[in-house]
Amino acid sequence: MLFNSFQFLLFFPVVTIIYFLLPHKFRWIHLLTASCVFYMMYIPVYILILFFTIIIDYLAGILIENADEERKFRFLIMSVIANVGVLCFFKYYNFFAANVDLLLHKTGGTANLPLLNILLPIGLSFHTFQAMSYTIEVYRGNQKAERHFGIYALYVMFYPQLVAGPIERPQNLLHQFHEKKKIDYDNVVAGLRKILWGLFKKAVIADRIGALIDPVFDNPHNYSSLAINVAVFLFIFQLYCDFSGYSDIAIGTARVMGFKLMTNFNRPFSSKSITEFWRRWHISLSTWFYDYVFNPLVAILRSWRKWAIVFGLLLTFFLSGLWHGASWSFILWGTIYGAALVYEFFTQAVRRRLFGMLPLWLNHALSKVITFTFIALTSVFFRAKTVTGAFYIYKRLPGIFSELSTSKSAARSRLFGDLDKGALLTCFLLILLLELTHHKEGKEPLDMFVGRQPRAVRLGVYFAMAFSIYLFGVFTQRQFIYFQF
Amino acid sequence: MEEQEILLQLNNVFRKCFKRQDITVSPETSAADVTGWDSLTHMILINDIERHFSIKFKLMEIMKFNNVGDMLACIKKKVNT
Repeated sequence: MLFNSFQFLLFFPVVTIIYFLLPHKFRWIHLLTASCVFYMMYIPVYILILFFTIIIDYLAGILIENADEERKFRFLIMSVIANVGVLCFFKYYNFFAANVDLLLHKTGGTANLPLLNILLPIGLSFHTFQAMSYTIEVYRGNQKAERHFGIYALYVMFYPQLVAGPIERPQNLLHQFHEKKKIDYDNVVAGLRKILWGLFKKAVIADRIGALIDPVFDNPHNYSSLAINVAVFLFIFQLYCDFSGYSDIAIGTARVMGFKLMTNFNRPFSSKSITEFWRRWHISLSTWFYDYVFNPLVAILRSWRKWAIVFGLLLTFFLSGLWHGASWSFILWGTIYGAALVYEFFTQAVRRRLFGMLPLWLNHALSKVITFTFIALTSVFFRAKTVTGAFYIYKRLPGIFSELSTSKSAARSRLFGDLDKGALLTCFLLILLLELTHHKEGKEPLDMFVGRQPRAVRLGVYFAMAFSIYLFGVFTQRQFIYFQF
Repeated sequence: MEEQEILLQLNNVFRKCFKRQDITVSPETSAADVTGWDSLTHMILINDIERHFSIKFKLMEIMKFNNVGDMLACIKKKVNT
C-alpha cells in the first residue's frame, strides 16, 4: 500500500481510530494485524520471510541475554547470518550469479548459474537492518531482550516504518509499544502536519520533478546537454522530496498514535561538506552503518590509526552502496562517497586554513555550492540504471558550454529540447519554496513556527497545502524511489 | 593512580592528539565540547590513550564510552589492577 494512495487515505484513519478505541492490552494485536495487512498488500506470501526472521531474532535476543560471553557472541553471529542470508538470497543472488558467470565467461570457463525469477520483498533491507539492530543492542547490553513475542514482531513490522524506515533502534521504539498511549491533541496536530508536508513533498514536488526529468534519464540521446544538466541537478531534489516525504508521512502517521520515530533528514542541502551531508541525509541508515559497521571495525583496527579510518570509510560506503541496490552503479556511487570522505578527512586542516581566509559568508556559500554540486553529480550513478548509462550522461554534461555559446537564436531556442518550460518553471518555484522552508527551519523548528501562528493563518496554510496537493499533485501511483531497496 | 592524576594525564593526551594546548577536559566533557574530536578521530584518541597508559580496552568497553568520565572510570580500573 502506498502512502500516496486512496487506500491509505482510508487505512490510516480507520487503524488510528480503532487503535484509540481499544483497551491498551489489545492494541498490539490490532497494530500487528494492521501491519500484516499493510505488508500483504504487495506480495502476501512474503510475510513468511518476515515471520522467519522475527522468530529467529526473538529467540536470539533471549538466548543472547541468558548466555555467557562466548555463547552470546555465537548466538549473535547466528542471528546476523540468518538476517544477512535472507537479504543476500533475495537481493544479491542474481547479481552475484550474473557476475560470476560473466567473469568465468571472460576467462574461458563457464558456470551457468541459474538465475532466480523472484521479486525483491518490499522493504527487505529496511526491516532486516532494524531487526539486526535489536540483536546487536541486546548483545551490547543496551537493550533488554523482549519477552512478549507480539511486541517484538510489532517492533519489526510497525506499519508506518516497515517498508522504507526510518530504521529504528530498539531503545527508542520497543518500550513505546508497552506504554499506554492516550489520544493527545498536540501529537495528532503535529502528526497530521507532518503527513501533509510529506505528501506535499512527494506528490507535488518529487513527482512533478519526476514527470519532467524521467524522460531525459530514460532517453538522454534525445536531449540537449543543457536539458541533461537541468535533469541531473533536479534529480537530487526529486530524490530528497520523495524519500524525506515518505519519512515525514511515516513519522507523522506514528506521531498521531503517540509514537515518536527518529528524524531521518535534517536539511541536507545546507551541508558545508560531504561528511556533514551524511550526518543530515538518511540519518537512520548512516547512523546504523556508523554504529554497527564503521565504529566497531575502526575500533578493532585502531592500531592502524589513520589507515583504519581510511579502510573503515571505504568499506562502510562500499557496503552502503551495495545496501541501496545490487548493481555496480550503486557500488560505485557508495565507493565514491567513501573516497570523498577520505579526502575530506586528510585535507580537513588545509581546507579550514584556506577557506578561513575568505569572509565567513563566502566561505559558507562556497562550501555549500561545492558540496551540493558533488552530491548532484554523483547522484547520476544513483539514477542511471547502469554504469554505462551514467558515463554517457557525464560525457554529455560539458556540452552545455558549447550550446550556451552558440549565437544562433534558432539553436538556442532548442536548448531545452522537449522539456516543458512551464513545468520547469513550476519545479524551480517549488524548489525555491522548499529551500525557503529549510532556511526558516534552520532558525526555528517548523512545527514551532507554524504552531505559534494565529489559528486563521495555520488553517490557511493547511488548506493551501491540501489544495495544492489536490491541484498540482501527481496521482498516477508513482512508487517511492526507496521502495526498491 | 588517583582519578585526579589520571584526568591530568588524560588532558595531556587530548592536547597532543588534537594538537591544541587550550583543551581542558572534565569527566562531563564529550565529543561535542572538543574541536576536532569527532566520529572519525575518536579511535585515534582511544589508541593514544591506550599507548599513554599502556593499557588495552575491550571492544565493548570502547562502544560504551560516551564522555571523558566513562573513559576515566575504565582507565582507573585498568591501571589499578
